[in-house]
Amino acid sequence: MKEFRKYIRVWWLLTIKSFQVAFTSRFGVALFVFGKLFRLGFFLLFLVIIEQRTKVIVGYSLWEIILFFATFNLIDVFSQFFLREVYKFRWYIVSGDFDFFLTRPLSPLFRSLFGGGDPLDIPILCLSIVLVAISVINIGNVSFANAILYLVLVANGLLIALAFHIFVLAVGVLTTEVDNTIWLYRDLTQMGRLPVDIYQQPLRALITFAVPVGIMITYPSKAILGLLSPQAVLISFIVGGVFLWASILFWRYSLKNYSSASS
Amino acid sequence: MDSIEVKGLKKYYKVQKKEAGLAASILSFVNRKYEEVKAVDGISFKIDEGELVGFIGPNGAGKTTTLKCLSGLLYPTAGEIKVLGYTPFSRKTNFLKQIALVMGQRNQLWWDLPPIETFILNKEIYEIPDDKFKKTLDALVSLLDVTDILKTPVKKLSLGQRMKCEFIASVLHSPRVLFLDEPTLGLDVVMQKTLREFIKEYNKQYKATILLTSHYMRDVEALCRRVIIINHGKLLFDGKLSDLVKRHAPYRIVKLTLQKNIDESLMRGLGEIKSFTYPQVVISVPYRRISDVSAKILKDLAVQDLIIEEPEIEDIIREIFEKGKS
Amino acid sequence: MNIKKYYLAARNTWDETLAYRLNFVMWRVRMVLTLLTMYFLWSALLLPGGNILGYTREFMLTYILGTSIINSLVISNRSYEVGEEINNGNLSNFLLRPINYFLYQFSRDLGDKAMNIVFSFVELTILFIILAPPIFIQTDSSLLALTFFSCLLALTMYFFLNFLLGLIGFWSPDVWAPRFVFITVLTFFSGGLFPLDILPKPIFSILEFFPFPYLLFFPLKIYLGQLVMAEIIKGIMISSTWIFVLWFIVKFAWARGLRLYTAYGR
Repeated sequence: MKEFRKYIRVWWLLTIKSFQVAFTSRFGVALFVFGKLFRLGFFLLFLVIIEQRTKVIVGYSLWEIILFFATFNLIDVFSQFFLREVYKFRWYIVSGDFDFFLTRPLSPLFRSLFGGGDPLDIPILCLSIVLVAISVINIGNVSFANAILYLVLVANGLLIALAFHIFVLAVGVLTTEVDNTIWLYRDLTQMGRLPVDIYQQPLRALITFAVPVGIMITYPSKAILGLLSPQAVLISFIVGGVFLWASILFWRYSLKNYSSASS
Repeated sequence: MDSIEVKGLKKYYKVQKKEAGLAASILSFVNRKYEEVKAVDGISFKIDEGELVGFIGPNGAGKTTTLKCLSGLLYPTAGEIKVLGYTPFSRKTNFLKQIALVMGQRNQLWWDLPPIETFILNKEIYEIPDDKFKKTLDALVSLLDVTDILKTPVKKLSLGQRMKCEFIASVLHSPRVLFLDEPTLGLDVVMQKTLREFIKEYNKQYKATILLTSHYMRDVEALCRRVIIINHGKLLFDGKLSDLVKRHAPYRIVKLTLQKNIDESLMRGLGEIKSFTYPQVVISVPYRRISDVSAKILKDLAVQDLIIEEPEIEDIIREIFEKGKS
Repeated sequence: MNIKKYYLAARNTWDETLAYRLNFVMWRVRMVLTLLTMYFLWSALLLPGGNILGYTREFMLTYILGTSIINSLVISNRSYEVGEEINNGNLSNFLLRPINYFLYQFSRDLGDKAMNIVFSFVELTILFIILAPPIFIQTDSSLLALTFFSCLLALTMYFFLNFLLGLIGFWSPDVWAPRFVFITVLTFFSGGLFPLDILPKPIFSILEFFPFPYLLFFPLKIYLGQLVMAEIIKGIMISSTWIFVLWFIVKFAWARGLRLYTAYGR
């Protein structure tokens, strides 16, 4: 418990620091937030246009499609808000700062993952929550149980996202390359902006279970629409757990092979 | 009690090889060739609690790699390490709370913020109680004389000031074992002296075990009674600095200033003539003949001045490395 | 002018890219993934026989696969480094040497493009074999020539835009924020996600006067034979005008920026 409080306080200090640093450049902050809002708004417009032209997209109504998209944003932004530090990891490895993470009584994995919340993500985070709420209201007659299931599956999706980030870090420790791996992850999850049903087999099975973008992003929305079987829910949790477990093993393996930047 | 114990430590790396040219690039893209580098190749030593030991070797000798293994950064290829009774690589919280690694020209301070912010973060990380934190910080701040820069952003500090703050950040939790890797690198003479005194003081006050690598022999001479010399990952010498002189340099340097120019051949029998630019002569004389030789000089030659010196540590060490090469 | 040094600059980008093997493989996987996402989206939306505003399934899939080739020809670049080099003081290395920085960066871009096109062709061939998509093949050689010509215009225009963004480094250390906005806007307005003419008419007609549609959308429309000659000429006129305007802005900004340049680095 005392240990837990220490981690919370360290995280809070780091968050304050990243706020301080972010707001040294108002110009940059404004542009980043604008860019993110633009991207969200324009993709929504794109969905609306397609829907107008085709009426239904693989059997889903407009609001249902928006729910899928909003859930994607929720998970995507949530993990970015907390895990922004991963994007700086290459620098920590190359400059040798990672050595300092290792010599302190603070889990290096924790320090590499959670380097403080990124204030630039907060507007989109709020917007995604609002968007999820609006689309759920417009879809109507959602049972309470399904709503709870939705939240639990979103949490499971976040765990999978966490596992992905741990993989990225481990690859970074082994090869000092981070950027493309993290962008690969981003591209993969972007396949989940729309329900994975649009992809043909065998690709659909692949990105549902093997690279569990489907479980991570599409399944929560399906659950709230009452379209998910109990077996699928069970598989989701198993896949989530296995993924996290494997990623931690891989992280430990990578530390054994860490070769530290030569000075 | 042994504070550090190393037995047969080895650390090998794989390094990628590639020739120049586009064809070689494409080839190496498909089929990568690796070469094994033995950074540390079977080293053993023990260090007592409270000892201050100098760790010496040319670039690439394996000093830094050894320090990194000792502080738990690297997983050893073979061998056994115990630091304060812990195996470093497991990085137990209690172990990490008792050690610190300082690397010259490496920065753990937040670049854009004042040093005090980093100190506060370290307070949380090392779980230092409020009163102890305040006391240690005050002591360190006055010892290193940095009161007025605590609230200045790190990027505005000079290298020397930054290094002082770096030290404070590293020893705030009063570590019992300190690994210092080139701590005075790039600093001016005054700042080197300040840090040297600080290290000495810290060693004395906290009975801390300190292992120090440095390119400046002055650092080692001023601080360490015992030195460990390695090259190509192998141990060459481990013992007192004075023994090093006795064992590897059984000679003295005699410096003469002549009154009038004489022929070099007259001085041949005295010892090995290192240099002769009238009126200065430098002769290396075996240790046991030193009294005979100096008496002879005073009797036979017209000298204005005669000085007998111990050889420079730096020269001795260079000789050891050169011997090792052949 | 000694062309050899610029050839070497271009070739060095190959060496650099190949040195980071994992990064390169990941980069290509990403390109394929993005392409597949768009491909499957549209093949799910447009079933055989379907038609959205004049785009049959065949046209749309050709459009999507085509963007991936034109993307590697037009968009792929190295000159994003300009801003960083200004900020970290590396630019000094070029100012001190007898080399034209514009040509140097342009050569690096060309090297990068060459590399990407080669790999893009290989990947597309594999995808063709696996997916066997219905594809529209343009046989009119004058349209093919115009497509190629418009690609060259696009490539030049994109180089100036990109270089200009880098020059922001003279005025502000924040070179990434503007680039992020640029890339976001580019993704939507160049037509990489969908053909721009499915947008509502008012938006589309404003967009026509910006540089973005001429980067991907315009060359592909020519290829698909969906533009009459008057529209093609109009498009070429607009993009040529932009190239001149951008060229002047870049020259001006470069001259102004150099006066501010501090060769500052840490």
